[in-house]
Amino acid sequence: MIDLLTEILRARTSSPGWTWFQAACRRTAAPVDPNWLLGNYAGASVRLGKKALTLDPGETRRWNSLRPDLPIDHWGLDELGRAILLLKIFHLPPDEYFETVLECYEQGDSREQQSWLRGLNLLPGRGRFLDAAIDACRTNIVPLLEAIACENPYPAAHFPELNFNQMVLKSLFNAIRMDRILGLESRFNSELSRMADDYASEREAAGRDVPPDIWWVVAPRITPDRIGRIYPYLQQGNSRYRYWAARSLGYARDERSRLELEQRRGIESEDRVLAAIDASLAKMVQ
Amino acid sequence: MKIFDPHIHMTSRTTDDYAAMAQNGILAIVEPSFWLGQPRTNVGSFIDYFNSLLGWERFRASQFGIRHFCTIGLNPKEANNPKLSEEVLSLLPRYLQKDGVVAVGEIGYDDQTDAEERIFASQLELAMEMDLPVLVHTPHRDKKRGTIRSLDLIRSAGFPEERALIDHNTEETLPLVLDTGCWAGHTIYPHTKMDEVRMVKLVKEYGSERILINSAADWGISDPLKVPKTTDLMLESGITLETIRTIVWDNPAYFFSQSHRLDLAGIEARPSIDQTEFYGGSTVLRGGQTPVIET
Repeated sequence: MIDLLTEILRARTSSPGWTWFQAACRRTAAPVDPNWLLGNYAGASVRLGKKALTLDPGETRRWNSLRPDLPIDHWGLDELGRAILLLKIFHLPPDEYFETVLECYEQGDSREQQSWLRGLNLLPGRGRFLDAAIDACRTNIVPLLEAIACENPYPAAHFPELNFNQMVLKSLFNAIRMDRILGLESRFNSELSRMADDYASEREAAGRDVPPDIWWVVAPRITPDRIGRIYPYLQQGNSRYRYWAARSLGYARDERSRLELEQRRGIESEDRVLAAIDASLAKMVQ
Repeated sequence: MKIFDPHIHMTSRTTDDYAAMAQNGILAIVEPSFWLGQPRTNVGSFIDYFNSLLGWERFRASQFGIRHFCTIGLNPKEANNPKLSEEVLSLLPRYLQKDGVVAVGEIGYDDQTDAEERIFASQLELAMEMDLPVLVHTPHRDKKRGTIRSLDLIRSAGFPEERALIDHNTEETLPLVLDTGCWAGHTIYPHTKMDEVRMVKLVKEYGSERILINSAADWGISDPLKVPKTTDLMLESGITLETIRTIVWDNPAYFFSQSHRLDLAGIEARPSIDQTEFYGGSTVLRGGQTPVIET
């Protein structure tokens, strides 16, 4: 894996950048000087740049055969370089390895921390870094929150339910689309449904917009007496609301919900919403 | 009208803000200790932060004729850091006995974890021992549940409800708080939490008893004049002067006077300004500026 990642990085790096990176890699050999490691970890943005990797079809195929769960297309060159540096210090004794990797996060600026949260998925024993990953969700810096919450398989794979739910709620607060949270469907739970439902009520009571895709999180475990609160969103002017209400109602099994969807199908004009209605009606029949 | 802003993070604000606040009638403020926008990595950062709330910030406020009080505590976000939380808790007996510390706060829930609950509970205990009120932050996420849990914890700890201020209320949480003996704070923000128009509606519905408003202005998008602005809108909306005065002065002054470190009569008059004063060798003036001196 490290060979393919190094090859991907090299193909996109200028010659001075590559010379620097090779020197940085040499310093990952024992004995590792933590100040040099932290310095090189930080320096990657300046030396390698932040351009997105954007893999070619061949690279995508090869990467997916190794880690189909982990998208890296959106990673910056600096982020890939940082991940490789952390992989290369795995020869350290376990506790020293853990402390050193953690320090790269704790001492990092927000770009370094973003890189760390993405690169985490490559590290052996990554479950040990759970506390730092959870702590990252407490940030008010949205790109940092996105680095852990979006296009990242770590939370669904490792977070306890309470922390996963908090991350989803915080994403809703920050207008992050729910379809960016990897593995969300596998982590649906009643408490999350209730929390999102309460949040929708709080926004409604304050006369404010509700995130259009909130029902995607609410509906799967909603209690039957509350499903009706989604219906008005099928009639909204903004088609994003109609789309997500239609998709979410696919979790309902009652006659009234089926009728609501069918009525909407009679007057709906947008293809995307029509497709969502049809998919949900098909799901209801199953 | 005299105004008391019971929750504002002045370390993030400029001297222009202080000048504007003084001009708009703000005579007294409480600055709760909270997090700094990013997590602290060692206990020394807390020591310096607490010292700056008690020292330089109080002095800075005084240079604009504003009385500055503070609350000290371990905030719920950083309560989740096991390395730090114990060290910070052990500092509290030292800081909570200082003059000008009028409550333990902000404490409460953020993610509603077990660690937050443990540290919230132990600070309630400490507040009882120190005979101090508490300022309770309610969470942004899962607010209603978080508010109910906070009220439950206060009750089960046997903490006197009249000495607890539950902050950042909304339409949904205010009635829950008023059903207890606790006080209810409202943070008037430009985009989130609560705004002036909604606040006027709440005052019309619930009156003034145990109700407070604040700006919570900090390093985020916020406005240190939100209390005077809400006061203006309440006046325009036909709310009586007496009701308004209760909300923006009597309630916060009384609530924090329960610390025995805020003299109700003493804060009525604006302290006189002397900008020739120094704090530890520092002044708010820069070269060539003329100091304001009142006698």
